[in-house]
Amino acid sequence: MCGIVGYVGDDGVLEVLMDGLSGLEYRGYDSAGIAMAESSISVHKRQGDISALEEALPDGSVEATAGIGHTRWSTHGPPSDANAHPHTDESGRVAVVHNGIIENYQQLRDDLEAAGHSFDSDTDTEVVPHLIAAARDDGADRESAFRRAIGRLEGSYAIAVVFSGSETVYAARNESPLVLGVGDDGHYLASDVPAFIEYTDRIIYLDDGEFARIDESTVVVTDTDGTVVDTSIETVEWDAEDAGKSGYDHYMLKEINEQPTAVRQCCGERVSELERTIDVDSLSALSVPERVQFVACGTSYHAALYGARLLRERGVPATAFLASEYDTATLPVDESTLVVGVTQSGETADTMGALRGANGAGATTLAVTNVVGSSAARTCDHVMYVRAGPEIGVAATKTFVSQQIALAMLACELTDEYDDDLVEALRDLPDKLQSILDSSSGREIAREYLEADAYFFIGRGYNAPVALEGALKMKEITYKHAEGFPAGELKHGPLALVTDRTPVFALVTAGSNPTKTIGNVKEVETRGGPVVAVTDGCDDVARYADHVLEVPETHSALAPVLGNVQLQLVSYWVANELGRSIDKPRNLAKSVTVE
Amino acid sequence: MESLSAVVLAAGEGKRLRPLTRNRPKPMLPAATRPIIERVFDELIDAGITDITVVVGYCRDRVQSHFGPTYRNVALTYVGQDKQLGSGHALAAAQSAVDGPLLVVNGDQIVDREIIDDVVRAHESATAPATLGLLRRETVSGYGGVLLEPDAGLPADGRIVELVERPRDDRNYRLNAGVYAFEPTIFETIDETIPRAGEHSLTDAISHLVEEDDAAGPVQGVESDGLWVDATYPWDLLRVASELFDRDVPDRTTTADDLASVHETAVVREPVVVGDNCEIGPGAVVGPYTCLGENVTVGTNAVIERSVLDSQTRVRPNATVLECVTGQGVEIGAGTTIGGGPGDVRVGDRVFEDEDLGALLADRVSDGGDVTYVPGTIVGTAAEVSAGATVRGTVPAQTEVRS
Repeated sequence: MCGIVGYVGDDGVLEVLMDGLSGLEYRGYDSAGIAMAESSISVHKRQGDISALEEALPDGSVEATAGIGHTRWSTHGPPSDANAHPHTDESGRVAVVHNGIIENYQQLRDDLEAAGHSFDSDTDTEVVPHLIAAARDDGADRESAFRRAIGRLEGSYAIAVVFSGSETVYAARNESPLVLGVGDDGHYLASDVPAFIEYTDRIIYLDDGEFARIDESTVVVTDTDGTVVDTSIETVEWDAEDAGKSGYDHYMLKEINEQPTAVRQCCGERVSELERTIDVDSLSALSVPERVQFVACGTSYHAALYGARLLRERGVPATAFLASEYDTATLPVDESTLVVGVTQSGETADTMGALRGANGAGATTLAVTNVVGSSAARTCDHVMYVRAGPEIGVAATKTFVSQQIALAMLACELTDEYDDDLVEALRDLPDKLQSILDSSSGREIAREYLEADAYFFIGRGYNAPVALEGALKMKEITYKHAEGFPAGELKHGPLALVTDRTPVFALVTAGSNPTKTIGNVKEVETRGGPVVAVTDGCDDVARYADHVLEVPETHSALAPVLGNVQLQLVSYWVANELGRSIDKPRNLAKSVTVE
Repeated sequence: MESLSAVVLAAGEGKRLRPLTRNRPKPMLPAATRPIIERVFDELIDAGITDITVVVGYCRDRVQSHFGPTYRNVALTYVGQDKQLGSGHALAAAQSAVDGPLLVVNGDQIVDREIIDDVVRAHESATAPATLGLLRRETVSGYGGVLLEPDAGLPADGRIVELVERPRDDRNYRLNAGVYAFEPTIFETIDETIPRAGEHSLTDAISHLVEEDDAAGPVQGVESDGLWVDATYPWDLLRVASELFDRDVPDRTTTADDLASVHETAVVREPVVVGDNCEIGPGAVVGPYTCLGENVTVGTNAVIERSVLDSQTRVRPNATVLECVTGQGVEIGAGTTIGGGPGDVRVGDRVFEDEDLGALLADRVSDGGDVTYVPGTIVGTAAEVSAGATVRGTVPAQTEVRS
């Protein structure tokens, strides 16, 4: 789980690589490194974030024109200087960066060690430079040696390699993201577009099983057999400007404040109040399937739970699965099944695995993603973009809101069942979100409950997934214990945990069973637990609550979108008061590309 | 010129623009459909400025989330002024973000690049500690007045001898356009200037410079003819929009904007500006001199003239809306009548007679339909008006008006 970057050209290889790593830091940040190739290879790498690497860099000018870089999120071996990429062979002839997991690395390593190779790190990646070196020793030229090594690997990888005495970067991809950039001052490769978007917006997407060779003047893509593949250069619209915090202390707060815009973009041209229609172009070819299975992880899974509910209400059997638990062998999946992968990055390995399984089982697949041209978008039969714009904070905020809205539109478009009120409410939603941002007392409530032992979140119906999401957000960025439950479940166990030091956040809005939820609120009160009601004022819940976070009235199906924003703000301010690393919480990475 | 950093002051609320400033500062109020400060950025960038620092304070989120880290590929650096203790204090907040001579402009007044160019040129060719942009206006009362003396030794039009806020006498004042070029020593000057009533005003600091003339050189003033528009009161947004229309300041137009949807039977009478994702229904009549912000909905057969409707406003069918200013998320009900000015507008103890204002509806005001607004009515944020009611005078925020 990492980000890789490569560059060949005369625009200052060191600077390009370091810029690239900054643009990929969201993919992992426990160590970083670069390698530059001249007659010999110079490697610089450090445990810690990119600023630690910066301090380790050589002073003075760099002659090299080819280089690779890596930002790491540990899978095999703890973060350390030794485990940081790039990895080299013993003689330092070749340096390798890798994102993914090599499943057969232990066997390969045993074989190599038996043949006399000695290893410096605990990583799976280090087998690759040794395999390449072994092939070179057998007389293979650089490219053949690279291909031969890749041929031995099982698992997922995006790999880039430089050799001493060569001004070429070699790369290969299988089940891990890799894109090439075609610029005026050289050629680029990276796990994701932001790495080099400030240099070029002309992109070539690599497919699984393809190899690439880039030097200063050419980009050559080949398949497994070495046959040259015709590639098309696409121009991406990716605003480099979106990579700045614009006066906010954290990307997360910036992104929370961007939610009205995100929703406006998500609905733009899709929702027409005067025509009374919700119309998503990319879904028009889909007919009502016999069943719908959502596959997703983390926050996206919570959006999927909401989407599944909306479909079931409209008579379509729909279930949300955690992608890592989705197994076509144990489920009814066939050609009348629509499998919807919900993934912000479009690269989430668990979700990609589930979608590949669904494709294999003959299902129709749909990606609901934020990243144009991502693996999910290209793997699925259909794609719907949520249009939230780039999200840098590891904790998903605006993309969750956009996913909720996109799935609501999906349910409407698929079944054609929606009323004028919903259309109008969708159009009003950006302003309702803005009104919460203008007036939220989330910060005061966060201060009130800073010392809590744990935070609980409850809600019914549409609000149940938001209760789960509220707890996840709290865990991710505050490192405090937090749990979310459908409100009725509280009395079946978790109530035992409720004390006067465990605030309970109750989502109480019209259309999501408020009366029964208030019953649960009273259960909490009786046990001395403080209650924070997130409410549109229905059923007068304020009478039973210690604090109220208000949300404006809206269509009952959209109320959870609003309640969620209040919970985001509470989590953010708790984390901020506690001085947490909000944009890069410990142990987490934005886009999880390992299973 | 290239070495000049610009500082845009956007931290103050602009209290006289209430209730429109309840949720955002004056620089974010619409000049036609775009925030005032966006037009200030445009003029700076057109004048060749490549480095802009924005001082934010009151409702700073609104500025930051609207523009993000750059505008038209020019980086925006935001610095916070936590307490609004005057324009000098605001500029001091930007000290760490700028280097060398600097250009300072107000983010809440429309000023065109001609004034900026004149100030920059005059400042570059002199060794003055400060150069001020000035305008000849028949009356400067209510604004900053500046007295100028000819000085052949200066590239500008003269040396400044006195600054007077809201002058009441009839000396020959020029109007202070709020466009300044300073040497970095201005920060020391602000420091040295004794605050008045706890406020560090920029004009006091400049007066201080004028007084110690000998030491630092003369403070010079340069006269310009460029466009300068300020909204003093909320209904002035109507005048700001029409001045922009009359000067043909480029903005989106209905014909150019394919992101908006205009029904084929709707009538659009130019000049009109229509924002992204607007919908205009069958038989509706929009214009002339009308600005619709993003996501505005105009229902069937509604009529809108000489109005500035901010984003997310919805006008229900058969409503008539003349000379109206709305905030964001306003709902004008079906069959409601806003008949246009003139009307008397009451602000606190003052009455402004015969203003061309139909009604001013602040953010998230909604009415239930068939409501009549008496000319000059001001309705505070999130007030709710029942169907059939007649509204007059000034309605406080979040009140319910029954029929």
